[in-house]
Amino acid sequence: MANTWALSALWVGLALAATLLAIWFKISTALSEIVVGTVAQLIIGVFLAGLFGFAQGGLAGNTQWITFLAGTGAIVLTFLAGAELDPAIFKTKWREASIIGLAGFFGPFLGCTAVAHYVLHWSIMPSWLCGVALSTTSVAVVYAVMLELGFNVTEYGKAILAACFINDLGTVIALGLIFSPFTIRTLIFVVVSIVVFVGLPFLTPWFFREYGGRVSELEAKYLLFFLFAMGGLAVWAGSEAVLPAYLIGMVLAGTVGKDHALIRRLRTLTFGLLTPFYFIRAGSFVSVPALMAAPVTLLVLFGAKSLFKAVAVYPAVRIHKYDGKAGAYYTLMMSTGLTFGTISALFGLNHQIITQAQYSYIVGTVIASAVIPTMIANSFFLPRHLLPQTMKSSKAEQRIQSPVPAEEG
Amino acid sequence: MDVALSMAADMKAKLFVLAVIRPPEPAESAEFHAVLEDGQERYEKHFVSLRERAKQKDIELEMDIVLGHPAEQIIHRADTIQASLIVMGKRSHTILHRWMLGSNSERVLRYAQCPVMIVH
Repeated sequence: MANTWALSALWVGLALAATLLAIWFKISTALSEIVVGTVAQLIIGVFLAGLFGFAQGGLAGNTQWITFLAGTGAIVLTFLAGAELDPAIFKTKWREASIIGLAGFFGPFLGCTAVAHYVLHWSIMPSWLCGVALSTTSVAVVYAVMLELGFNVTEYGKAILAACFINDLGTVIALGLIFSPFTIRTLIFVVVSIVVFVGLPFLTPWFFREYGGRVSELEAKYLLFFLFAMGGLAVWAGSEAVLPAYLIGMVLAGTVGKDHALIRRLRTLTFGLLTPFYFIRAGSFVSVPALMAAPVTLLVLFGAKSLFKAVAVYPAVRIHKYDGKAGAYYTLMMSTGLTFGTISALFGLNHQIITQAQYSYIVGTVIASAVIPTMIANSFFLPRHLLPQTMKSSKAEQRIQSPVPAEEG
Repeated sequence: MDVALSMAADMKAKLFVLAVIRPPEPAESAEFHAVLEDGQERYEKHFVSLRERAKQKDIELEMDIVLGHPAEQIIHRADTIQASLIVMGKRSHTILHRWMLGSNSERVLRYAQCPVMIVH
């Protein structure tokens, strides 16, 4: 028991340190936690092996409760990401969103798979996994930039935002289905999923109206029940628990997603306890020696992700009236994706699809694709309102006065 | 803020207060929205007391909360409202911090099209 509390203290201490670093450097907590996890694992592996049972597997160890907390973190985080979808936007912009989103998914997915297989000579399954992990985008990054420039209220902006959801949906579906054998279990999983996804938007508001709003936090238990139950079914079918979590988030976006008080309580649970375990654990599996042994691999994957994202997304963005620097800017913004990238890579590692070295390269690339554009932008700072007229005029017309997302989540 | 308030009172000038919420980089879905909502609430609380102080000194006051890079948003808003003077605070940061994030006051000084007063 003493070991459990000591280990808990260490993990929460690392989470605390990661949060402080995130505050000081104004970076996302997820990124900070991954880096802290990697560094902590390195230090523990070199200096502290043998303490608190680390010898049995380093920082992450073989402790089931850490795996449970980390897994729950990924599930709830994915649910929250799905719940940020604005159904109204999606209904009106589904066509443009589908074209750009599918291009944003299939381009890097197929391109990075090919590069991993033919250039890096990875075998076929790790190559597919690499393609999935590097196909992601970040809805939040795109949304942040749109709020900043005032594009979130434009028709184009709404289409791009919805496209990001389609892109990530492609990633989650690919992750959930490509690596699972198609059996009768898969069929049962798909049928039950359809029933649940159709029923939940009707059942949930009624259930919350009847029994919600109490101190016992019935809403949180109800959501966790469905997330765990569908996650369990997904794993039973050989799929991945985040697939139903993302879809449950999307189908409940119009109801639960608009309940700000509930979303806030879920965030407290998620950021306060769950995601630190997930991201620190994800970081702890990154092998720094492997990265240092073959840095070119990292460059190749980063180059492939950026190239194929650009090749696929830029033309799709252009045909929807974004041209010049505006188009390039959105293409760059859609080239990020920290959460789903690490979730995919960790899935591959847990299922022995990829090795620890391959995992390290993929997570390294995911981090690089999230950090490098930001660092470039900060290093060569230019006020964005001085950008060419195409962006400037749209911005002037549509500028927002308040950063509060319009029912976005 | 004290300096800006007393200057506005002395010069009978209109005071425009801009609060900028800076999203974490790279923005991650749930955290990003949490930061937005938290920032909005925090600044609105500040604005309540500020409004009182401005009222006592009979200062015409306008306030806004925006999202983005602080330096860029300050410069852009100053251009839009044709501000006569930008008054901003300066935080002391380490060299590493400045390299990673850049100094907002330095950037405003470099790009602003009107005089800038940095209050230490």
